[in-house]
Amino acid sequence: MRDPVLQVEDLSVSFTSGGVTTDVVRDLSMRLDGGRTLAVVGESGSGKTITGRAIMRLLPRGASARGRIVAAGREMLSADERELRRARGSDVAMVFQDSMSALSPYLDIGAHIAQAVRLHDPSVTRRAARARAVEMLDRVGIPEPADAVRRFPHEFSGGMRQRAVIAMALVNRPALLIADEPTTALDVTVQAQILALLRELQQEYGMAMLLISHDFGVVASAADDVLVLYAGRQAEYGSLRDIFEQPAHPYTTGLRAATPRLDARLDSGGKRTRLRAIPGAPTSLRDAGPGCAFAPRCGLADQVGERCVVEVPLPTVRPTNEDGGLHLAACHLDRLPALQEVAR
Amino acid sequence: MIAYIARRMVTAVFMLLAIAFVTITLFFGASKDPARAMCGKPCPPETRAKVSAYMQTDQSVVWQYTEFVKGLFVGRTYGEGARQVHCHAPCFGYSFPNRSDVTTLIAERLPVTLSLAFGAAVLCLVVGIGLGALSAIRKGGIVDRFSTGFAMFGLSVPTFLVGLLVVQVFGFMLNALPYSGFVSFSESPTDWAWHLIGPWMVLSFILAASYIRVARTQLLNELSADHLVAMTARGASTRQVNRHAVRGVMVPVVAMFALDVTALLGGSVIAERVFSLHGLGDLLLSGVNESDLSIVVGVTLFSAFLIIVGNLIVDLLMPLLDPRIRRA
Ligand SMILES: Nc1ncnc2c1ncn2[C@@H]1O[C@H](COP(=O)(O)OP(=O)(O)OP(=O)(O)O)[C@@H](O)[C@H]1O
Ligand code: SF4
Ligand SMILES: [Mg+2]
Repeated sequence: MRDPVLQVEDLSVSFTSGGVTTDVVRDLSMRLDGGRTLAVVGESGSGKTITGRAIMRLLPRGASARGRIVAAGREMLSADERELRRARGSDVAMVFQDSMSALSPYLDIGAHIAQAVRLHDPSVTRRAARARAVEMLDRVGIPEPADAVRRFPHEFSGGMRQRAVIAMALVNRPALLIADEPTTALDVTVQAQILALLRELQQEYGMAMLLISHDFGVVASAADDVLVLYAGRQAEYGSLRDIFEQPAHPYTTGLRAATPRLDARLDSGGKRTRLRAIPGAPTSLRDAGPGCAFAPRCGLADQVGERCVVEVPLPTVRPTNEDGGLHLAACHLDRLPALQEVAR
Repeated sequence: MIAYIARRMVTAVFMLLAIAFVTITLFFGASKDPARAMCGKPCPPETRAKVSAYMQTDQSVVWQYTEFVKGLFVGRTYGEGARQVHCHAPCFGYSFPNRSDVTTLIAERLPVTLSLAFGAAVLCLVVGIGLGALSAIRKGGIVDRFSTGFAMFGLSVPTFLVGLLVVQVFGFMLNALPYSGFVSFSESPTDWAWHLIGPWMVLSFILAASYIRVARTQLLNELSADHLVAMTARGASTRQVNRHAVRGVMVPVVAMFALDVTALLGGSVIAERVFSLHGLGDLLLSGVNESDLSIVVGVTLFSAFLIIVGNLIVDLLMPLLDPRIRRA
């Protein structure tokens, strides 16, 4: 078997402030091969962005990561500055959640892309790098690319800006792309176009994609595998088919119930509902008690009883429909009852 | 872009005309006739009327305003025959007690004020941005705590107090610096600087406070900005990222600096007084003391002109520094 492009083992991320250390992500493991897409789904604050940034070792001040991350053959958590610089933007690239704030207001679009090129190959001349930028903008479908390189971020529409940041991330043909909510800020038709573009480029470059989203519809249309995060922990992990056809975690079931059509394809333009349809507010690891973080909102907690509030459920293997697929869920229930009973 | 520049220039000209009108109305229209001071004591009404006519202060405010504006471009003549005086363009008025046109008086004082402004501006930029940047980079560290206190003090303490302290400590107690006087740069650059260190310290101390604050907050904002994280994600080193962060700090600092420098060029009454420097601030003060309205109006308008020009420069410079303003 080939080495995976991304392998994460027992990743925990904690913030320290005022002498107090709290985990915001705990014990995540995942594996992603070239050409495949792993979706990370979860509500706001569940730790999706932090996970993505940990992979690039781009954590905010005060955060530290433990565990093991191997991305494009590099040990990211033990790599030194030089090696990290070499990996970032070339082997591993990231599309940030908010395209507007991720672009420098003082540089035109071309300068951003040219910078990505020249940082990794100083022998490329400024001119040649700008020419690469034009090429790349053309590739991501920006009309009149020769003109567009000279424009500034604020002069672009949201959809065009998203295409531009994709061009920027992909210009060095990374082996792994981390796409943090690449379509959230866009309207539905543009969302579909951007997702289609990402998939097309992924095929062309054979890269692995970590697709961060809180939209199950997006996940359904783009992912091969799915990691469901709840309060910084892995609630469920499995192939798209397993997650949809036989979810083993009540939270996943809730998400699924919140998605109108299970096979909703983005291109069909169907309106998708966001995850907030599950009653109750998301818990964070910070104020999670000793038991299952989902317990306060779980319709099945009563059925299981005290175990849910005293013992943290660990991910255990569940039945799978895929050949050799891995299906894990962190729930004390071995089998979930039918969907209607779960939604309360 | 050209339309933008043209619009700004036109606005600036109208601003200047409006400021001139307000100043002239305020001083010549509402205060006592400067002819009183000129005609001496005792002053019979007929003499005073004659003096007033000679100084052209007996006319309506609107007439005086138009004459003033005209004088700026073509010069102005007072009286006739043997007593006729001419004030060349650009004429900022004529000071009868000094028997000189105000433009000449301003020009005489300008080197002092210029030297004062130049040094204070440089010192304040270096200290302000230096301390501000260091505080931001090591937030909560010793430099940060020191410069925050320094900035608080600088913002709240009055100029004359700092001035007197500097004179007292460095001039009298330590006998390290001269406490008054001015030596022109062409005469001796070292003596020039030596005599100005005191006033430079005072002025930049007061000014640097706001630069420390702006540089610190702005750099803190920039350093955690998403676009810099994204730059790191592209493979940039910390040094490259920090260099780019400076761009974001430059924008507000340049704006503030251009306005502060032009304000400094208008004269600093208190610092000049404390160090017995004869700059524009001192000229203004003497005008007030001697009820010489021509000087007061002339210097006030000159300073106002500088500030308008400073604003114009900022308006024209900003779009070059920040592309977001370009399309406005
Ligand atoms: N700089 C920080 N300091 C302290 N805590 C932080 C910081 N950044 C994020 N967190 C915490 O980490 C947790 C995960 O944040 P993260 O940004 O990864 O969420 P997310 O899943 O990406 O949410 P969203 O959908 O809103 O983007 C949150 O609970 C948040 O409060
Ligand atoms: S462990 Fe208990 S509370 Fe947690 S998801 Fe399973 S049933 Fe619900
Ligand atoms: Mg996020």
